Amino acid sequence: MTDTKTSEPGFNPGRRSALMMMGAAGATSLVLPSMFGRDAAFAANAKADGKLVLAFSQEPTNFNPFMPHIEVDEGMYYALYDTLFDFDPAGNFFPVLAAEVPTVANGGISADGLSWKIKLKEGVKWHDGKPLTAEDVKFSLELPLDPNLRVMRTTGYKLLKDITVTSPTELTWTMTKPFAPMSAVLASTWIIPKHAFEGVADKNTAPFNNAPIGTGPFKWKERMAGDHIELEANADYHMDGPFFKTLIVKYIPDLNVMYTQFKSGDVDVVGLQWITPDHYAEAKDLPGKTVEIAGTGTFESFGLNMMRPQFQDLAVRQALYAAIDKTSIIDALYYGIPRPTETYMPQQSAYYNDALPKHEFNIAKANKLLDDAGWKKGTDGIREKDGVKLSFTNSTTAGNHLREQVQQFLQQSFKDIGVEMKISNLPPAVMWGEYWMKSQFDTVIVGLNVLMGADPDTSDYFMSTASPARGGAGQNNFCYQSAEVDALLKKGGETFVPEDRKAIYRKIQEVIRNDLPFLPMFQYAVCKGRKTSVTGPTPNVNNRIDSWNIRDWKI
Amino acid sequence: MLRYVLGRFWQSLVLLLIVSFIGFTVLSLAPGGPLSQFALSPGMTQEQLDKIATQMGLNRPLPVQYFDWLSHLVTGDWGRSYRDGQPVLTIIGQHLFATLILMGTSTVLAVSLGTTIGIVSALRRRSVFDYTMTVFAMIALSIPTFWFGLVAIYFFSLKLGWFPAGNMFTVGDGSLLDYVRHLVLPAMVLALVDVAVWSRYMRTATLNVVNQDFIRTARAKGLSRTRILFRHIVGNALVPMVTLAGLQLPALLGGALVTETVFTWPGMGRLFLDSLGYSDYPVVMGLLMTSAILVLIGNLAADLIVAAIDPRIRLE
Amino acid sequence: MSMTETAALPPRPFIRSRALRRFLGHKLAMLGLAMVLVLTAACFIGPHLLPYDELYIDLRARFAPPGTGTHIFGTDPLGRDLAARLFHAGQVSMAIGFAVMVIATCIGAVVGVVSGYYGGRVAAVMMRVVDAFLSFPSVFLMLVLAAFIKPGPVMIALIISATSWMEVARIVEAEVKSLRDRDFVQAARMLGLSGRWIMFRELLPNAIGPIIVAATLTVARAILLEAYISFLGYGIQPPLPSWGNMLNGAQQYLQSAPWLALVPGIAITMAVTGFNFIGDGLRDAFDSRTDLK
Repeated sequence: MTDTKTSEPGFNPGRRSALMMMGAAGATSLVLPSMFGRDAAFAANAKADGKLVLAFSQEPTNFNPFMPHIEVDEGMYYALYDTLFDFDPAGNFFPVLAAEVPTVANGGISADGLSWKIKLKEGVKWHDGKPLTAEDVKFSLELPLDPNLRVMRTTGYKLLKDITVTSPTELTWTMTKPFAPMSAVLASTWIIPKHAFEGVADKNTAPFNNAPIGTGPFKWKERMAGDHIELEANADYHMDGPFFKTLIVKYIPDLNVMYTQFKSGDVDVVGLQWITPDHYAEAKDLPGKTVEIAGTGTFESFGLNMMRPQFQDLAVRQALYAAIDKTSIIDALYYGIPRPTETYMPQQSAYYNDALPKHEFNIAKANKLLDDAGWKKGTDGIREKDGVKLSFTNSTTAGNHLREQVQQFLQQSFKDIGVEMKISNLPPAVMWGEYWMKSQFDTVIVGLNVLMGADPDTSDYFMSTASPARGGAGQNNFCYQSAEVDALLKKGGETFVPEDRKAIYRKIQEVIRNDLPFLPMFQYAVCKGRKTSVTGPTPNVNNRIDSWNIRDWKI
Repeated sequence: MLRYVLGRFWQSLVLLLIVSFIGFTVLSLAPGGPLSQFALSPGMTQEQLDKIATQMGLNRPLPVQYFDWLSHLVTGDWGRSYRDGQPVLTIIGQHLFATLILMGTSTVLAVSLGTTIGIVSALRRRSVFDYTMTVFAMIALSIPTFWFGLVAIYFFSLKLGWFPAGNMFTVGDGSLLDYVRHLVLPAMVLALVDVAVWSRYMRTATLNVVNQDFIRTARAKGLSRTRILFRHIVGNALVPMVTLAGLQLPALLGGALVTETVFTWPGMGRLFLDSLGYSDYPVVMGLLMTSAILVLIGNLAADLIVAAIDPRIRLE
Repeated sequence: MSMTETAALPPRPFIRSRALRRFLGHKLAMLGLAMVLVLTAACFIGPHLLPYDELYIDLRARFAPPGTGTHIFGTDPLGRDLAARLFHAGQVSMAIGFAVMVIATCIGAVVGVVSGYYGGRVAAVMMRVVDAFLSFPSVFLMLVLAAFIKPGPVMIALIISATSWMEVARIVEAEVKSLRDRDFVQAARMLGLSGRWIMFRELLPNAIGPIIVAATLTVARAILLEAYISFLGYGIQPPLPSWGNMLNGAQQYLQSAPWLALVPGIAITMAVTGFNFIGDGLRDAFDSRTDLK
């Protein structure tokens, strides 16, 4: 069916591992210069007739990277635009438009983290032939604060002041306070041309938004709405590549059709939402295709609304967790592809706490927990205590069949411990609207990525003051409250020694694991497929979409 | 005549107004909204969402939004999609073609097959052929279109491998043959119900004509069978069919929606479902209006054509 | 869904026995009746004969093809018995079908008789509303409604009713219009009977034939529409099975487990065909001209 899910894995501009742990000096002193050692090749490497078809199951529709967009749109940005620098799979920065990645060591960032200097490569041109200048970078960095533009995020940008162009290829700014994730923000700031907006009255409907001009490896050619987008190699590209002439980004809403077309060879690379788990066994043996499992930064959990009376008792949360047959869910329903987890932190991260108590599926234990806590079964077989019934609804995106199967499976398990779970699924636009943001649910099944960049800070998700339902600002939609976690998060934000920070964030994971405001199920892994003749596509947990290095792809 | 057309025109406008009012009210009262797709992004706060909502004018009172939308509509500005910022008319235009191709092909298929079956059934009333076709038509009318689509994909695409399972063309191919190969299954599926409808109506219409005096007269005059058949019987029986064509439009559009879903056909039906999923209200409203307009034009055109070819009917 | 358009029927209150005889002699109608009865019996008795609960999940038994052990129709992706689900789904789908028939027929009959009896402005306004509802594809309207209203069996029945009453309204209006100047109506007026009495005691009973035909066809239509919206994911929500939502997701397993799509689809087709056969038979039975044809 048409899969109109919202972009489930949240916005994730990149997760580096240990490298983004800040040095004592503040921002990003540990950031290394490019390890790739690449530079402008200016070669027209494109095969004259080469064509690559990359398939996505969602349709890219927002081409202005500063306006609200979803994950799949970023798949286009990597082809059309460039950032100043970006993350490689190991978590290191490499320069793209910047001549070098600014660090404290090379003088790009002052020791207090407040003064920044960016030097751009010489001779980079926009797709329309005009030269890229520092003015364009300044324009792009200031755009998020344009009061009339509908912008996606202001995080980081709002801390910039005095952005000054010192030469056509150099600019500087200062920051109102040290902000470690600024490099991560810049790594997902695609630079767009100032001249495309000159004389445009309403930037929200600028012609640029539907006929983008970038500096990236591919130029905009045409879009057939609801079907595909065609891009053409940028022969003047300032790095190596691109290596083929035509890039077709095909929108195939049905994952079965997408797989069928991959099998038949119509699709060269299967992108976002990838090959469904049930096809993995068959797919990995297909001749001429390379199919691999790749981890992602998103974790799946059974989220509780901690404001509901049913979930005030820790014993209830523990019992529910014990009643989840994770192994069956992962092995049978998800074909063994994702990995079980006990926390929100990806297992690839240096902050991952590997010593958390292991989940154990045990219905008897769950029943005992509830018995001991005084939850007695009523005549209808549903437990209750002090007038509170262990009955609640569970919601997720309607049409997500695997989740719907998990729900029904859980429903049966919970029934075995005298808990009634009713399923109430909603279309994506309703589910992830106020229903989610203002915590109107009882429980949800949700895939979340709670990290902003590589920084382990999750104040936005777990700080008591971050629940909109409690009048706060943030995304603590589970409405979790813990004085201990609050204190730790605060301390973590002020601590700059990597080893100290590690201890703090490991502790936070431990507290949350014990409190169980959400019942962690697994860390997502996806099944990526490409023709074996295509080289270049590389999983990169630091960038959230397949085409992050499309400039390197060869056919 | 002109008065009649004008009268119908005003009636149609009132109808469109009702349609737009119903559609807009239902959509606007719904929870959720076009911004929820961004809600799972880290750093996206409710305040930021509220700010964007204000910028987009989503926080205004409903009547204000409705009249704003309506007054723009009247001037030909159907608004812009919340998803890609393109004008709604442009987007619908881009998808209209695919739907029209699908509907056109299946209608041609249905009309030619359906009328033939209907005529033969009527002329050989109570024959084995007639009974078989009656039963076939009843069953065809009872099969859920999407399910028939699934069965067709299963047999003709997965088992036999004759036709592709979805999409309108292979990317980068674009040859006519490629289009046709992709068109066969969805057109066949969409045509199934119509063949049944057309054959039944044509059978009744032909029977009505056959029993009339002028046919007996023609026979008595000794006109050849073929001449009677084609000049008198078929010609007259086809008149009510034109009205039917108009009446069938809503069903055809609805069927196209489901068929496009099953075959991932990039037409208006799939656009509708996508837009509904993302709460892209301007596009959803645009599609509602477009389909209503198509239906009204279809009905009016059918009436006018009937009046033009049948002297017995006078428009008033 | 109407099949053979016949001109507005004159009232025939006294020949119902003949109509019944004609109906009983209508082979297809009898076949349809048999199909519906068999299906209904299966749906209501079947679950008691099967050793499975329609909600019982057994992941070890998932994707068992039909005929595996006592799973006569096989199992679904959660290892639930497909037969048990099919029969329960049938109860839900048919209940919705009948509910829609009752609701839609009532709304349609009231709208039709009122506008047919009073005529003039009242009729003009009412029939324009009917036209408005008819002028956009019901699937569009239903999806818009279902996308935002919490879908449960009752809501779904109401939503389908909201898009199914117009046909009845039109038929009744035409019928009543042709009847309202007849002698018996005039007589009733002279007796000083109220408009309501005349409409519901005199006119409506005389239009009962076409109403029954339309009602039967409405059941068929409602079962189809439920299947459409549930298939698209906006209808009956799991775990409650309906024929439509059993098909939702079946496309994904078309290659590996085609019975998931085939079994419920055949059930839907059988039920709808059955009701359509009955409707056709009734139409012929109420149409005195049938004998002439």
